[in-house]
Amino acid sequence: MQQFTYASPAALSEALALLEEHGADAALLAGGTDLVVALRNRTLRPKVVVDLKRVAELRPSMSEAQGWITISAATPLTDISEDQRIRAKYPALVDAALTVGSAQIRNRATLTGNICHASPAADTAPALLVYGATINVASVRGTRRVGVAEFFLGPRQTVLQPGELVTSIDLPVAAERRAATFARTTRRRGVDLATISLCCMVDATGLTQFAYGAVGPRPFVVADESGVLADPDSGDAAKDEVLRRLLTQASPISDVRGSREYREAMLLVMSRRALRTSIAKLAAA
Amino acid sequence: MRIHVTVNGSPRELEVAPNTTLLDHLRDDLHLTGTKECCDMGECGACTVLIDGRSVNSCLMLAVEADASEVTTIEGMARDGRLNALQDAFLAKGAVQCGFCIPGQVMAAQYLLQRNPHPTLAEVREGLSGNLCRCGGYVQICEAVLAASEFGR
Amino acid sequence: MTIGTSERRFGGYERVTGSQQFVADISLEQMLHVKLVHVDCGHARILSIDTAQASAGPGVVCVLTAAELPQPMPRYGPVFNDRPILAVGETKYHGQAVAAVAAESKAAAEAAAELVRVEYEELPGVFTVAAALDSASPLVQEPELRPDDPLNHTNVLREKRFGWGDVEAAKADLIVENVYMFPMITHFAIEPHAFIAAPEGGGGVAVWTATQNPFQMQRILARMLGLPVAKVRVRAPDPGGAFGGKQHPKYEPLVAFLALRTGRPVRLLLTLEETFQEVRRTSCEIRARTGFHGDGTISFQDIRSDFLMGAYADIAERVIDKSNYLACGPYRVPSSRTVVRALFSHTTPSTAFRGFGTPQVSWAHESQMDDAARRLGMDRVEIRLRNLARKGEAFVPGDTPADGDWAESVRKGAEAIGWGTPLAAGRGRGLAVAIKASATTGASYSIVRLHWDGSATVLAGTSDMGQGARTVLAQVAAHELGIPLEWTTVVMGDTATVPFDLQTSASRSTVFMGQAVMRACQDINAQLKQMAAELHATDAPVVELLRARFSEVRGEVIGVGSYRSEYQPDHPLGGAPSFYEFTCTASEVEVDEGTGEILLVKHVTVADVGKALNPQHVEMQDEGAAVMGLGHTLMEHILLDESGRIRNLGALDYRIPTTKDLPLEMHSLLVENGDGPGPYGSKGAGEGGLMATAPAVASAVTEATGVVIRDLPLTPERVWREIHGKGDA
Repeated sequence: MQQFTYASPAALSEALALLEEHGADAALLAGGTDLVVALRNRTLRPKVVVDLKRVAELRPSMSEAQGWITISAATPLTDISEDQRIRAKYPALVDAALTVGSAQIRNRATLTGNICHASPAADTAPALLVYGATINVASVRGTRRVGVAEFFLGPRQTVLQPGELVTSIDLPVAAERRAATFARTTRRRGVDLATISLCCMVDATGLTQFAYGAVGPRPFVVADESGVLADPDSGDAAKDEVLRRLLTQASPISDVRGSREYREAMLLVMSRRALRTSIAKLAAA
Repeated sequence: MRIHVTVNGSPRELEVAPNTTLLDHLRDDLHLTGTKECCDMGECGACTVLIDGRSVNSCLMLAVEADASEVTTIEGMARDGRLNALQDAFLAKGAVQCGFCIPGQVMAAQYLLQRNPHPTLAEVREGLSGNLCRCGGYVQICEAVLAASEFGR
Repeated sequence: MTIGTSERRFGGYERVTGSQQFVADISLEQMLHVKLVHVDCGHARILSIDTAQASAGPGVVCVLTAAELPQPMPRYGPVFNDRPILAVGETKYHGQAVAAVAAESKAAAEAAAELVRVEYEELPGVFTVAAALDSASPLVQEPELRPDDPLNHTNVLREKRFGWGDVEAAKADLIVENVYMFPMITHFAIEPHAFIAAPEGGGGVAVWTATQNPFQMQRILARMLGLPVAKVRVRAPDPGGAFGGKQHPKYEPLVAFLALRTGRPVRLLLTLEETFQEVRRTSCEIRARTGFHGDGTISFQDIRSDFLMGAYADIAERVIDKSNYLACGPYRVPSSRTVVRALFSHTTPSTAFRGFGTPQVSWAHESQMDDAARRLGMDRVEIRLRNLARKGEAFVPGDTPADGDWAESVRKGAEAIGWGTPLAAGRGRGLAVAIKASATTGASYSIVRLHWDGSATVLAGTSDMGQGARTVLAQVAAHELGIPLEWTTVVMGDTATVPFDLQTSASRSTVFMGQAVMRACQDINAQLKQMAAELHATDAPVVELLRARFSEVRGEVIGVGSYRSEYQPDHPLGGAPSFYEFTCTASEVEVDEGTGEILLVKHVTVADVGKALNPQHVEMQDEGAAVMGLGHTLMEHILLDESGRIRNLGALDYRIPTTKDLPLEMHSLLVENGDGPGPYGSKGAGEGGLMATAPAVASAVTEATGVVIRDLPLTPERVWREIHGKGDA
């Protein structure tokens, strides 16, 4: 690890000022589970590391107001997966969060860090996409809100501009009945990076949404508004046809975790399964 | 930088360089070598310690981040030379082979039992899945954790 | 009665409290820290190395390249002296060190290592068996390193032939012919390799290394440094897992030269990634042609194996010898022809690895048995029972006969897995056996000191790397001397204090060192007997006898014991195996045909150990071996790119089993017939559990899915490809 200075601001304004001042020479530290690896491997060589964990406005919290549940930037995944409101309203996000590394990782890693790292395989991204999360962004110039579907640009790339950071993630509290299922394939059953990951949500209006990870430069969400997928009575062939159409957006690559061909096949297999599960959950709800 | 940390119950004022991981600081500066280094990327769990009661990979944490925290390492488990229930169960169940992963396993198990004093086998397997043991003593390690949870009842 | 009791591990307290000192935990006064410099491809010509900037770095004491080492470059290896201290002229594998920086701190060494400028030209490399055998490929090893070897202009280190009978004339009703592949596997001991060296008074040097083999290290270092053996002290703290990977020298010569050059202690801690680049299991391609009679009995075996070793010979010749010797498995085979080659490549040097060539050949011979059973419509257990050598049968003509009731192990394994009982849909069962020729030649010495108070110190050169040798040797001594186990201490791992032992390998320690300790104790007992007679106190308890004999001046009784098996030049292995390690593994799996994922429902291993001196230790090792075997069966393989770089270097993408990858149910069963050559009828153990994992699990997968897979590991993608007829990726 090369030398850098460490700052642990107490207020958001202070953090934003540091970020503004140092620009690309600053690295943001939340859980650190990705950042410290990058520092050690020297793939990142910041001059300043800004620790966000002691910023008052970003401290771990999950609050509900005006139809949103807001998760602050420094909230570790463990807290999210143990929160009763999140468990009740966003079970697929909890399932996804619980696949991020080990207990030790989840005790540090944050949801915000997971999406800001912008790995195409980020496990929480598909769940955030189907739940329609909104990302709250701040800089010294002000704040803005970005839909999670617009947040990712490509591998390690987000819409965040120099000087911007994510302060929290908002999850909308849905009025309609819905059911979501997270699914992934891996090389082993224990802690692993996803070969593919997805989240499927069906709701009482007949809308079905699928979000996918690890099958393109960025996670993405697609929707079936025809009602075919959500219809328990439509046939497998009809559903497959819709699924194949939705999956045309996927552009998986071959790497050490799996070939493009395998990933494409798993997309269909796991989509079918997740859809079945979601439909069953919705019926039971 | 100067940080204030409670290490295994003793308050300490420490001087640390920002570009030092907690793992390196524990091992190289505090000579607490019970915490082990292996993968250096949070995959093996050998460097597991507790920060304010939560298990973390000390290789993924800068030492400065531990400021104002309570750090518990394997050296803080036995009291006055007496093993705690978990450590004793590891030996009784034959969970220790080469021993290199064991400090991390014990710390991960300690966290697990603090959170969930009476886990099922599936919960133990889940809770320890971030701790690799290449001697492959997982069956005995899980038995030891279950036995220690019994002991606490 | 401590023998046969599951005594707690000696050294266990230290291991659960973190006070056990592994090499990386040792820090010496004035110690320098070393960082290696590599180039980023498998095979390269080094054009120049500029160390000026690095040498000027803060805290840098020494930057060493091949140019600063003695000329010609000293070379070393366990058998062939082919490995240079640092790369000379060329790098021959991804990760081979071209320079080393010694500095006052780890950070300083790391920073300076980045400043060493290496100009290199990437060269075409040999990364596969096919490339190694292609005469158009570059030579990995310079012919002048083996001038008298007729193969020195090829990439073949050795070609060995073994067998008996006449394969060409053998009649068969069914001939099964297949090719099997076994990938490169890395040891992945949780303790990465670590080395310390320090100059010692009188011109000597001390080296701390987590070695299974301190006396070989001492011999090699003494030769390289031109020192008498007595001037080289090798201290071998208990390794944090070894599995064969810590048997032979790696960077010990480098740190020794650095210590002597700088006059200061130096420490080199490899990262896990660097460790992966230094040791691995030999990958292998096996062509097996097996003839069967209609009743399922084997007529002949005709097996050709190509082991792709790495850039240096290391112990590969021994691996292929042992593998090839029992390539037909534990069966009665009327005619056999087995040919094996060890091939150089521009990859990580392969070395010893638990099972030592056996998992590779058992993958072939067991899969052949299954193939024959399917074609003949026979039960897969029955075909094995029909062919297994019976106890006392010379299944390798003229050599150590079958030394166990192997059918008993197979029946136990079959019963435990529920062989023949109804199977749920999507499930399958498999059963396989394997056999390894244990230690052949070798010598172990022990000194046991019975102190004046009746307690005893056992000196033994064995390395306790997790197998529990310390505990078992203490049990032997306590039992023989008739003293409580708590009164014994076992000292290991220091060539300056413990007597010679050949090595800790081949599951030999319980037998060889166990016998040496036992004999040392018997030596003491003989002295005590004489003492008692002289004092007319033949019935006195030991403690009283010692008090009477030594009185206030005190003293001790020293016993010496040794166990040797001499070299036999005419034997293909240099000596007959002192015992066979036999395993039966049975597995039940459920396969998800949609994804190719395998769920291990139940997994059983049976080990014929003669006598379990400490049953818990035997079971934990056998189950541990099984878990390791599940790794190479289901998920482990080193993947190379076109430049010979390891694509899945490190813990993120080289996957080993976790707690969640365990079978839902797992059992380790023992067969104890007291028929081994070790103390109390024991045999060696601890490798068996992984030797037949792959064929057992693969056989179960075949039963579940109908597809036969002959390439490892059985990743979800590979299984899916086979089920859906997709061919190789």
